[in-house]
Amino acid sequence: MAAYDPRVNTASQDPPPPPPPPPESAISEMPSTTTEDVEMATANAATIVAGANSDTPTDSWKLKFCTVCASNNNRSMEAHLRLSAAPTAFPVISFGTGSLVRLPGPSISQPNVYQFNITSYNQMYEELEKKDPRLYRNNGILSMLDRNRNLKWGPERFQDWTPGQPRLEHISKGDKGALGTEGGVVDVIITCEERCWDAVVDDLMNKGNALNRPVHVFNVDIKDNHEEALVGGKAILDLANRLNESAVSQRQAHGSAGWENGSGAARLSFDESVPEILAEWQEKHPNLPALWTLAWL
Amino acid sequence: MAQSTDHVVDQVAQLNAARSLVLGDAALYPQIVNGILPIIGANARLELRRWGADFLAETFSTPALAAAQKQQLAPTVLQSIQDTLALPETDTAVLSSLVQTVASLYPLIFRHIVNHAEDTKTWETINAIKQEILRNMDSFPCPVKICCVKFLQRVVQVQTPGLIADPRRPDQNETSLAVVPRNHALLAIPQLEAESSGLLDRLLGVFQEETSDPLIVNATLNCLSPLIRTRQSIANKIINTILEFYPAKHVRPPFTPTVRVGVKSMERTSRAMLFNVMKKNPSHPLMGKMQAYIERLMQSRFEITDDASRKRGLPTEPTDGLDNAKRARLDAMTPPLLNIPPLPAGPTSFDQLFTITQDIGLSSFDVKQLPPDLVVKITVPLLTQVNQSLLTQAVDAIRNRYETITKEQNLKRQQLHQAATAAAADDDDDYEPDYEPVDAGANVPEESTALTAEDAELEPDLVSLGPFVLPQPPPLTEEQAGDVGRSAVSRVFSMIDAVQTTPSPAQSKNQQELGFARLAGSTFDRDAWVVLLTRLATRAPAGLEGSDKAKADKRHPTISDSIRETLYRYILEDFRARLKIGITWLNEEWYNDRVRMKAANSERGVEDEEPIVSLYYDTWVLRLLDGFLPYLDSRDIKVLVRFLSEIPEVTIAIIQRVASLAKDPERVNLTVQALMYLIMFRPPAREMCLNTLEDVYQTYEESRPAAGKVLARWRPEALPAPAETAPAAPQTEVQAPAAST
Repeated sequence: MAAYDPRVNTASQDPPPPPPPPPESAISEMPSTTTEDVEMATANAATIVAGANSDTPTDSWKLKFCTVCASNNNRSMEAHLRLSAAPTAFPVISFGTGSLVRLPGPSISQPNVYQFNITSYNQMYEELEKKDPRLYRNNGILSMLDRNRNLKWGPERFQDWTPGQPRLEHISKGDKGALGTEGGVVDVIITCEERCWDAVVDDLMNKGNALNRPVHVFNVDIKDNHEEALVGGKAILDLANRLNESAVSQRQAHGSAGWENGSGAARLSFDESVPEILAEWQEKHPNLPALWTLAWL
Repeated sequence: MAQSTDHVVDQVAQLNAARSLVLGDAALYPQIVNGILPIIGANARLELRRWGADFLAETFSTPALAAAQKQQLAPTVLQSIQDTLALPETDTAVLSSLVQTVASLYPLIFRHIVNHAEDTKTWETINAIKQEILRNMDSFPCPVKICCVKFLQRVVQVQTPGLIADPRRPDQNETSLAVVPRNHALLAIPQLEAESSGLLDRLLGVFQEETSDPLIVNATLNCLSPLIRTRQSIANKIINTILEFYPAKHVRPPFTPTVRVGVKSMERTSRAMLFNVMKKNPSHPLMGKMQAYIERLMQSRFEITDDASRKRGLPTEPTDGLDNAKRARLDAMTPPLLNIPPLPAGPTSFDQLFTITQDIGLSSFDVKQLPPDLVVKITVPLLTQVNQSLLTQAVDAIRNRYETITKEQNLKRQQLHQAATAAAADDDDDYEPDYEPVDAGANVPEESTALTAEDAELEPDLVSLGPFVLPQPPPLTEEQAGDVGRSAVSRVFSMIDAVQTTPSPAQSKNQQELGFARLAGSTFDRDAWVVLLTRLATRAPAGLEGSDKAKADKRHPTISDSIRETLYRYILEDFRARLKIGITWLNEEWYNDRVRMKAANSERGVEDEEPIVSLYYDTWVLRLLDGFLPYLDSRDIKVLVRFLSEIPEVTIAIIQRVASLAKDPERVNLTVQALMYLIMFRPPAREMCLNTLEDVYQTYEESRPAAGKVLARWRPEALPAPAETAPAAPQTEVQAPAAST
């Protein structure tokens, strides 16, 4: 479980500057993402070069993400950490779709149960540390909560989220990944379990699609344990980088002239490229069955 | 060049600061929107146009700003949007955001026009924008096309009649065709509805195309749910279209991974969408079809084989040091063998039979010393941790032991039996002095006595358990007994409700065939329970509760009274349907009263004074009548006549209650007809009824036309001379009040 600490520290230092050099820890830990790092670096370079051109966007535009699992503790938070601590520092928010936050307890029938939205990770941490520090340190719950409390205030329930409601207070609370999500909208939702994907798609229909804003909803099936969450978090970051790269290049290739110059996937618009990106990603991560749809906020 | 870039960077930074302001305080939106419109207009630079389009989309969709304020703001931005579209705008991002904005604006503008029919210009502008979008929809780049799908959905939603939640507060109702006044100057309802019907076809057209684009299909599927939910008139059309759509049929080989992703996502999205509909309305008429569709969708899964191969394999190493359950058992563990000590020689006690441990201290420990709750506390967690194979071994061992012992005993018993018969024969033989038993024979009795001795020791231990007597429960207090009784009664009442459903025709036929041979309460239907209840109330406690009824506490009514009270309430809940129960009950009461009077009469001695028997019938018949009389209306003659004719005894008090109905001019006829029925068909009550009728005739003039006819037939002397009444009807009417006062 000590493996968490270095990354938590890098994450909690301060929000990484927009085009940072890839941190060493990221490279050493994520050998699979080095190619993406290079790609991202070129993308960033392209942005910088383009910035000199008077007619191209100068804003550091990125896709906004939302990660979802059952309790907004393990899988979605690992992904939240990955996305917010990435060199690109994606705007990211995270949710759980369960009715309550459930953490493992002394036995399978005695979970620790908390309310969404009103319990902070810190409260849970302190409560469990008081209850049985040895147990919760050994099963990794305490280090997980420690990571989480450095990321944001507390678990939020997806069904209680009002898309489009400003989230300024999350910035003032210092939630990681909150920069860029102040408008309360996202471009991509990534769930970590089919049940959650079903719940998210269903809930978005129930919310009535009032914003008229498209959102891509992915599922990356991750088993609910620390190791798989680590693997899944990496894979989600990989997916996010691929998607963002396509979206950024679409934004740069504005107008028909720029668009003509692209090739392959780049020739397609971002939305069109999504099935292709997912298919490619799936080839690389055959053990994480994925699912996707285009829904509305 | 660089300077102008810097300038733009500055401007964007300022705009972002403005956006932070409105995000913090939505009240600033009107001010900021008006302030930025000139900056982000059609001629602005790309960055500014993008920023502006995004901001407008955000402004008109944010839940932070109330609909009324958005509505006020909406007309002001239309011109700018139209100009930008007319450029023509070529940037995908700007176009997407603008179409999103227009999708949010459309209901707002529509609402505005509903309330401001004079604002022709705004309506023309939004229509021009709508036509522009619809015309270019198919040639727009994909991301814009997706937003157009949502725009179509919005237009259809607005231009289809929706639900009117509260007609008194039109401002509260959702924007739809239903809020448009019929005589609106600008909005012609039939025209708008026709347009929306065409647009719905265009929206749903995506499901009929030969090759589907998963993006458009998913975008459409995901936005249909609100339409189905809120627009009844088109819901079935939408669902039926989807039920015809099988994603796997709408793709062409080669089946690249990309195509697979698309098909899977369309399948899952249509499933999710139908599930959403089914959850919202579980009694949907198309429920069966939807379920069949979902099943077929799952069976024809495009990727069944593909998915199976993609299922995650076993993890190469344990995934979590703690969850043993999840870890695969790679090598079957050979279970530890249990060491079963042989039974000690000689007779075996239960104790020895079940002891497998060889630890002296443990086997001599008396568990009875522990309190039972402690034993439970120890045993239950222990049981959960018992090794399955060890437990099986132990149980098998004990079973073996037990079987061996029983076998031995059976053998011994047989031998004993033989020995006994032999011994008996021996006894007989005593009378034959000549008989000399052989040596072998002589050994048998000796052996058998030894066995009997051994057997006597064994038998009580293993075979006979002795009788077990349940301890007597503590006596119930009167109050407890009453409570128990009442709860039993309430359960019988619940039985009535449980068999409430009408019996099948076959059953009712059966019942009719029974006729007089019927035995009360033998059919186990609702009637049977009713009979049971009425008898419970009347007969069961007769003589038990009656004696000390005088001192019965008001707060603790006797069981029979509580049954009566419940029956009374039960009947009044729906007296028209349950009158039959009431009649059955009252008959039982009346019969019970007779029986008790008879019993009291036979018991009393010659000198005893008249026995006092409290009569329940009179009390309850009046209560019941009083209970439903106020609710009778003028057409309930059948109910009243049935009641009066079927109750066992009609008393003056009852008739007076009926007569009191005549106070209500509307129900006068009810009284007269009911009395007439009694006069005609209930001779014992005839006199009583005629007297009452005469009273009614005298008192209430509304009754005269009807009552006069009855009296004319049955008691002509009560009427004034016929010669007078017929021509001078008005006169009698004048006289009547004078006579009654």
